Amino acid sequence: MTQRLKEVDVVIIGVGMVGSIVAKELAAAGHTVVGLERGQARYTAPDFQGPAIHDELRFDIRKALMQDNTREPVTFRNHGSERALPVRRWESFLPGTGLGGSMVHWNGQTYRYQANDFELATRTRQRYGKDFLDADVTIQDWGVTYDELEPHFDRFEYLLGTSGKAGNIKGTIQPGGDPHESPRSREYPTPPMKEHFQGAMFRKAATGLGYHPFPQPSSNLSQPYTNPEGVKLNACVFCGFCERYACEHYAKAVPQTIILPVLLANPNFQLRTGCQVQRINLDSTKKKATGVTYIDAAGREFEQPASLVITASFSLNNVRMLLLSGIGKPYDPNTGKGVVGRNYAYQTMSSVSSFFDEDVIINPFMASGASGTLINDFAGDNFDHSGLGFIGGAYIGAVNTNGRPIQYHPVPPGTPPWGKAWKQAVVKHYNHTVQFSCHGSSIAQRQNYLDLDPTYRDAWGQPLLRMTFDFPQNDLKMAAYVTAKAVEIGKAMGAKQVVGSPRKGPYTTQQYQTTHNTGGTVMGNDPSTSVVNRHLQSWDVPNVFVIGCSNYPQNASWNPTGTLGALTYWAVDALKNTYLKSPGRLVSA
Amino acid sequence: MSVSRLLAGCLLWGCIPLLMAAKQAEKPAPAVAVKLCQSCHGAHGEGTPAAGIPRLAGQSADYLDKQLRDYAGGSRENPIMHQWAIQLKDAQRTEVAAYYASLASPYAVAPAAAASDAATTGLLARGHQLAHQGDETRRVQACDNCHGPDGNGAPRTAPYIAGQSAQYLAASLKAWKEGTRKNDDGQQMRSVVDRLNDADIGAVAAYFASFAASPNSGSQ
Repeated sequence: MTQRLKEVDVVIIGVGMVGSIVAKELAAAGHTVVGLERGQARYTAPDFQGPAIHDELRFDIRKALMQDNTREPVTFRNHGSERALPVRRWESFLPGTGLGGSMVHWNGQTYRYQANDFELATRTRQRYGKDFLDADVTIQDWGVTYDELEPHFDRFEYLLGTSGKAGNIKGTIQPGGDPHESPRSREYPTPPMKEHFQGAMFRKAATGLGYHPFPQPSSNLSQPYTNPEGVKLNACVFCGFCERYACEHYAKAVPQTIILPVLLANPNFQLRTGCQVQRINLDSTKKKATGVTYIDAAGREFEQPASLVITASFSLNNVRMLLLSGIGKPYDPNTGKGVVGRNYAYQTMSSVSSFFDEDVIINPFMASGASGTLINDFAGDNFDHSGLGFIGGAYIGAVNTNGRPIQYHPVPPGTPPWGKAWKQAVVKHYNHTVQFSCHGSSIAQRQNYLDLDPTYRDAWGQPLLRMTFDFPQNDLKMAAYVTAKAVEIGKAMGAKQVVGSPRKGPYTTQQYQTTHNTGGTVMGNDPSTSVVNRHLQSWDVPNVFVIGCSNYPQNASWNPTGTLGALTYWAVDALKNTYLKSPGRLVSA
Repeated sequence: MSVSRLLAGCLLWGCIPLLMAAKQAEKPAPAVAVKLCQSCHGAHGEGTPAAGIPRLAGQSADYLDKQLRDYAGGSRENPIMHQWAIQLKDAQRTEVAAYYASLASPYAVAPAAAASDAATTGLLARGHQLAHQGDETRRVQACDNCHGPDGNGAPRTAPYIAGQSAQYLAASLKAWKEGTRKNDDGQQMRSVVDRLNDADIGAVAAYFASFAASPNSGSQ
């Protein structure tokens, strides 16, 4: 028996980073807002406190903060000809659950995509010709430009207190920053993190090779900071338990440390946890949403009517929510028609291990989630791709986020995977190895997509999301090229042995790569190739907004959170200043 | 129980360092410690708790060394300590720090003192909360995160606070708050103490002082 609740102005599905920001803005503007979070409420104290929060077995291996895949996995296959199977153990990517969402367990690496990325299709054709790419590559422009997003990037970084060094302020290159970045309006809110020894080694070698090293922008803060919402954050203590963990120190920018205290104090907002949204309800015209139906932790079903529905869950779940609700035409890879689930992309991650003699002491355990030293010389379109046969690139960096005992033990190739020789090698190399990350872009391709699984269902009886993905040849070529450049840096650092591991196919869900799943509810200016318009409003149901990395038409060379923050404020701007004053289509279809 | 079985048990339970500590005679105090430190901090580094003079025995050597430098340099203000610290040459300072770090606590392990009245019970309960859970309403994290489980220290940088003088702990927390102590690089202590009121400071000091010092607190 479904209980119908009192109508509110806005219902938000998912109270993570996006949901918290949107809810705060709309509640402050006087609208009644209900936030539905499927996971539990949780706060820095007492939920994230030590020593329990440093339990590597619980959080790293058993993935305590992640979406419960005994109840709600995704299914996966590499190719459309295969039968997908449920991912019973998260490894490749780690969608979070609970108040604060996946941001609670992030590393705090906070980038802006470059101007080029937002107009990728146009600029690629302009620079390399229209036939440069394979016919099945489906990259496209975002429908929004970097210049339009810049104030929103700025606002997001100041919300988080991001620690970094500007490389380009209003067109003037700044020493010590990233000269390749698109112009920013002002310096980062806090200075960069302290540089690790391996970062200093990387900086010296990269500079010697003519590259442009800069400190990784970090939302684990270098110093105490009070954000524009009046919320205070502390400085990071380099504990080495960042990604996959929550921060006990109020030092990592997550909803609990940047905005939830303000949101939860607003009586216009109501948080409901343990609420699994089943679908967005539509009226008989299928052009208007009437609210959502959810099941609470006690198994009771509720209908929450609302004038506006915003889905702000993890990117994969945004896609699933639209498919379950019948909003937008599902993508069909055979015809190339349809939009929901189209242009699923990921991140193409490679790595390099540089093994040193025992007199080079790295201390990998003294780490924060984002205190590396990087170059962007081979990221995005910062280098000439003519004749290379691919687009995109990767940042290369000495990015060491931890030296945790269960998961971190670099050993050279040829070391036995267990036993005495393995243990000896771990002891020998643990403190004398530098790891580089080559954090690569991911193009969209016709055969990579998301849809509903025809076989497997979740604990509530709803079809699971099915992922069909393998690495495009473009990205494997890119990974080989950039990893070779990174190996040269390792050699220039004087390592005894440098081992490059360029990403190779097929894609597997059984090895950790990143949680940067993108696409499926792509934004754009053409309803035949996008799910939402440039303001993140559904083309089909204008009182539904979809905000997440699912909006990315393809993925760029950087971690996606900074750009998602900018898109969130961009959408908030349209919601507050235009849509809610006069509800209707913000862009005519 | 035979010696070999006792030894096997110790191996299993990792108490070899304790046995070794018990067998070893206490190092003789360096001359500079005899001259400058002992009259206040005691012949065995046990401190003078009632006078707010901290226990040094078993404290992290790096921590003690840094405090002496900071007393001399002024980032930790204390007129008495300043006048001694400026007299120490680098090698003497390191020697003194290493000496006090090497001392086992003179105290036996005992349960925390039972509260005798409701006010003390409330005080210790609040201290317990701040020590182990933190307080979201004040947005402060638990002391344990840095100072180790039960405040036993996390060398090299974070000192033990369990079993330390309540007067010393309260005075030190107030010094962070008032800005006379500012030798925390990332402002970790200043950020925390800024959000504690006087009652919280009293509670957390009383709570940690109620611990009998563990023999291995702070040792490394």
